Parts: sequence; C-alpha cells; structure tokens
Amino acid sequence: MKEHSDVLAGGKRNILVADDEFINRELLENILSDEYDVLKAEDGEMAYEMIRQNRNTLSLILLDLIMPKMTGLELLSRISDEPDLKGIPVIVLTSDHDSEVESLRNGAYDFIPKPYPQPDVIKARVSRSIELAENRQIISATERDELTGLYTIEYFYRYGSQFDKYYPNAEMDALCFDVNHFHVLNERFGTEKGDEILKHIAERLETVFADKASFVCRKTADTFLVYCSHRDHDEYAKIVDQIAEIGEDLHTSLKMRVGVYSCCDKKLDIHLRFGRAKIASDKIRNNYTVSVSDFDEALIDAELFAEQLVEEFPKALEEKQFLVYFQPKFDIRGDKPVLSSAEALVRWIHPSLGMISPGAFIPLFEGDGLIAKLDEYVWRRTAEKIADWKARLGISVPVSVNLSRADLYDPELVDTMEKITRESGISRDDLYLEVTESAYVSDSSQMVDRVKALREHGFFIEMDDFGSGYSSLNMISELPIDALKLDMKFIRTAFEKKNDTRMISIVIDIADYLKVPVIAEGVETEEQYLELKRLGCAIIQGYYFSKPVPADEFERFLNDKKEGKG
Amino acid sequence: MLTLEALKEYGADTEDGLKRCMDNRDFYIRLIGKALENKCFKELEDYIAAGDLDGAFETAHSLKGVVGNLALTPIYKPVCEMTELLRARTEADYTPLLNEISAKREELLSLM
Repeated sequence: MKEHSDVLAGGKRNILVADDEFINRELLENILSDEYDVLKAEDGEMAYEMIRQNRNTLSLILLDLIMPKMTGLELLSRISDEPDLKGIPVIVLTSDHDSEVESLRNGAYDFIPKPYPQPDVIKARVSRSIELAENRQIISATERDELTGLYTIEYFYRYGSQFDKYYPNAEMDALCFDVNHFHVLNERFGTEKGDEILKHIAERLETVFADKASFVCRKTADTFLVYCSHRDHDEYAKIVDQIAEIGEDLHTSLKMRVGVYSCCDKKLDIHLRFGRAKIASDKIRNNYTVSVSDFDEALIDAELFAEQLVEEFPKALEEKQFLVYFQPKFDIRGDKPVLSSAEALVRWIHPSLGMISPGAFIPLFEGDGLIAKLDEYVWRRTAEKIADWKARLGISVPVSVNLSRADLYDPELVDTMEKITRESGISRDDLYLEVTESAYVSDSSQMVDRVKALREHGFFIEMDDFGSGYSSLNMISELPIDALKLDMKFIRTAFEKKNDTRMISIVIDIADYLKVPVIAEGVETEEQYLELKRLGCAIIQGYYFSKPVPADEFERFLNDKKEGKG
Repeated sequence: MLTLEALKEYGADTEDGLKRCMDNRDFYIRLIGKALENKCFKELEDYIAAGDLDGAFETAHSLKGVVGNLALTPIYKPVCEMTELLRARTEADYTPLLNEISAKREELLSLM
C-alpha cells in the first residue's frame, strides 16, 4: 500500500489568521511564518470563504471574536455545523475573559489572550492544537477503503489538495475510471465475483500509478479516481487496455473506460475537477469502441442543458408541455394504401426553448428513471385521444405506444395498462405496444415473461427496431410478438447501397414464418414504397405518407378513412 | 524618526512590545506608525458623540487589542479603562478619557 504522508510531510502547514485589525494579523504572521504558511482574512465572511476554499489543506484557524460582517462566534458555529469543516481546529483570539469560556464551549480548541503572550507561548499553543486535531482525525476517519485498500474519497481529496499546495507547478490530470455496465457483471456472476474484480482493478491501478505523485481512490462501486502527473491520450488508452486485461485472468470480459480532465485548472475546487473527469467518462458510457474520453468545455454546456431538462421535467409534466403526435401507418397489401393504425410519439414544447427533439431528452430520461413517468403520461393521453375520436368522430384506429426497458421492470405494468384502457373507456386492442428488440435480448427471461403477460391480456405487441438487437433466430420463434417492425436503418442502408434489399427480404421471410406482418418505418420516397410493396412488406410508416402530426391534424386521416378515401 | 529610547521614555513597555515582534526593531516601529493611523481613534470619538455605547464598546475593545499588543502603555491604560466602563454601558462623561487618549496619541505622533 502506497503512503503519501511522508511526501506531504515536508511542506509547511496552512494557518488562517482571521482578525480585522491589520496590526494583529501582521504580528501573528511575523511570529508564525517561519513554521507555517499564513493566510489572512480581515472580516468574518472573507474568513469563511477562505476556510471553504482551503478546507482540505487548512491545519488551524486563529480567530478574532469581534469582526465585521460575521462575528467570530457566528463563524465558529458555522464551522462546527459543516461536516467538512468541523475537523479544522480553531484557536480564539480575545482580550475578554468571558468570551474565552464561551468559545471553548462552542468548539474552540484553545484561546490566546490579547495583548498576546510571548511568541513561544503562541507557537506552543498552535502546534499543540494542530497535533491534537490531527491525532483525532487519525482515530476517527478511515483513510482506506475496506474492500480495495485504496484511499477513501475524503483522504484522496485531502492528499490531492496538499500535493497541489506543495507542488503548485506540477501539471496534473484528473482521471475517472469506470467499468462499463458493472451491474451486469454483478448480476451475472454475483457480488462476490464483482468484488474480486474490483480488487484486481485496484491492484492494477496501484501498479500503473505507483509513483509518489499519483493518488488513487475508489469513489463508489466501480468508479475509481486517479490524480496523477500529466500523460498523453495514447498512454491512457494503453493503461485502460492493461487494466481490462485482468478480465482474461478472471475469465470474464471486462470493458473499462476513462474520462480525462487533462492539465486541470487548479483554481477549480478539486471536487469539480473530478466532476469534469466523470462527465468525460459518462460521455462514452455506451460506446464500445472508444475507451478514453477527454474533457472539453462543450461537455459542460451539454451537461448543464441535460441537467436543466431533468430538473424541469416534473413541472413540464404537470403543465402538460409534453404533447402526443401521431404518425399514420398504412396497410399496402391491397391496391390502395389503407390507414391501419398509428404510432404515438412524444414532443416536448418547452415554453422558452421551443420544441425539444425527443433525441435530446428520451435517452436522458432513460438514464435517469424519469422515462417510466413520461411513458405512462403518453399512454394515458393516447388512450384518452382514442376514446375522444371514437366519441366525436365515430371512428378510430389502433395506436401503438412505446414501452421502455424501465417499464418492463415494473411488476405493475400489466395492471397499469389495464387500468388506463378501462378508465379511458377503450378496449385493449385499441392500444398496441411497441417493445424494442434490444429489451428482449439484453436481459433475463423476466422481460419476456412480462411481455407475454401483456399479450395474454389481449394487448397487441410490435417488436420495434427489429434487426438492431441481434436476436437469434432460434429465440425469435419463441417470443411473444404480433408484428415485426423493421429498424429504420435497414431501409436507409438498403436503398443507399444500390438497392441492396436482400436483408429486407430475409426479415420478411422470418415474419412470414412467424405468421406476423412486417412494418417498415422511415419510408420517405415513392421508390422505397414501391420496392417494399413488391417485397411483400405489409405496413408502411414514414414521411412518404405523413410526418408525425398533432392530434387535430391526424383527424384528417380518420375522416378520410370514414369517408372511404383512405 | 522614532527611536526605541524615545519610545521607552514616552512610557511604552518596549521590551514587551519588541518580543511580540520577534525582536525586529524596524517592524515594531513600522507597526506603531500604522497603529497611530488606526481609524478606531476617530470612530471612538464619533460613537461617544452620537451616544452609541455599543459601537463605542466594540471600537474601544479593538483598539485595546492593538495598542496592548504594541505595548503602548500610555494609550493602553485609558483605552482599557474606557473599555471596562463601556462593557457595562456606563452612562458617563467620557471626555476626559477621550482627551487623554488623544493627547497621548498626539505625543507619540510628534515623536515619529
């Protein structure tokens, strides 16, 4: 286990003198500056700011009680209220006997009277308080993570900040290592094996970052932070590979990624530096070809935008800023295309940002667990709209809604669906459900069972994005599906590359074998439409017929159908 | 230029003051110059004139710390006396004490 106490022991400790009188500050600085680095504050607020900024390196505060903006006693109580500050010892400076006792009661370690005693006395009191506080910290705080023996996050930040103080000119990188989809490893092999993997990663990181200018800690489950002298991008790529090699020893495939905040700005709080490394790492969370991600300022903007959207979600839901649009699907098997159904698609009409693309918020809400709320909202609005059309126009078509992976984990899903149809007064075959292929493939039989249960309750299931999830043919025959929906990318590539429609033919053959229709989405041109019709595709959705439109515009298609026009 | 001898003659406990300055004579003299410019002297008079005994107490208290640290005994004594009276918020005629403080300050200024 690497120790940093020796490398950090050589430097001077930081002391803050907070006193509004210039003379008093100067005297103390003059007495203490041989042995300590002395910071100075001339009022209570300034002192508080400096304490927060230097909390990881501050060894002692010398505090005057009567100061402008915030008194010493107020400051003392603030310090003891804030968990990350209360470990810093405070010596009160006072010419007042009554205040001495009160300060000690409020958490001060000691007091120094005014006029000041002999410099030797001051020095002795200062060093004794520091020593006491440091011993107390050693007793109460845990320096090491129990599982891996790496530093805990608190010590990591403290040592990192101390290192910066002693080596202010060193170019340092803040790194955040994550294991891709670690929870899957835990689920597949059990937490015992998961822990073993984490221990091996920790060992490997300590070997790679063995020098004294490197600090390694485990932040949470599978997130490791490293503070080290600057290296280049390619070197990090090698390091990630080197660490992932331990997967081979453990007979499992391990994919790691690292976010790098290179030559970080030391004026930025150390927590924020690692926040940036984490943002960079998260950017490539689902990217299996890239393992090193460098932080750049644009990521902060994206992150702030994402945060804003997540923050505003509850209000947007309450104010019905989400609208359901409908895109018609046409059955093309006969002579003339006939409106057969529609897909409900959500749009966010934001009061100040205008229409926000679903591509911007859906992946975000999927990661944040908000998607289930949004989905249920869309199901409800859709069911209500179908009921409204039936009542007002005397006609409707089935409308498909999307089910996210998170929905399929919900044991109440079938009940919720039933409740929605019942309460809005529509039948179950009015609402089709689209389940993405990857949801079937990625996980346990639990998801398949849930889809089966929905189907048994009379819901029509369309397998969405078929062709993107690598289902085995063997598996497909057993899946509960009523229609195959062709991944939009298929249509695009098929027509881009010299009309190579062989893949589409294969999918249509599979559908025929399963006795379910094929729905093609993303159809944009007449050429695509005619070719898909020739190949035997049953249903078509896309801009060729109509883009997704608001509910009132969609009524046009319903009225046409009613009059026998489409 | 203020000398240690003159300061001693004035009544300051120079030995005590110098120790707090780690026996750095120039540093000590420089701080005395700074102390005499301290805004507390003026503020103390203003607070008393306005009858604000809370403000006057805090100011006297601060001043006491400064002149005490520099061992400027002739000023420290009346400031101490005033601080104690003000601590009890005593309604009294502070003019004699203020005059004494002012006179001792002027005297020291003339030695600078």
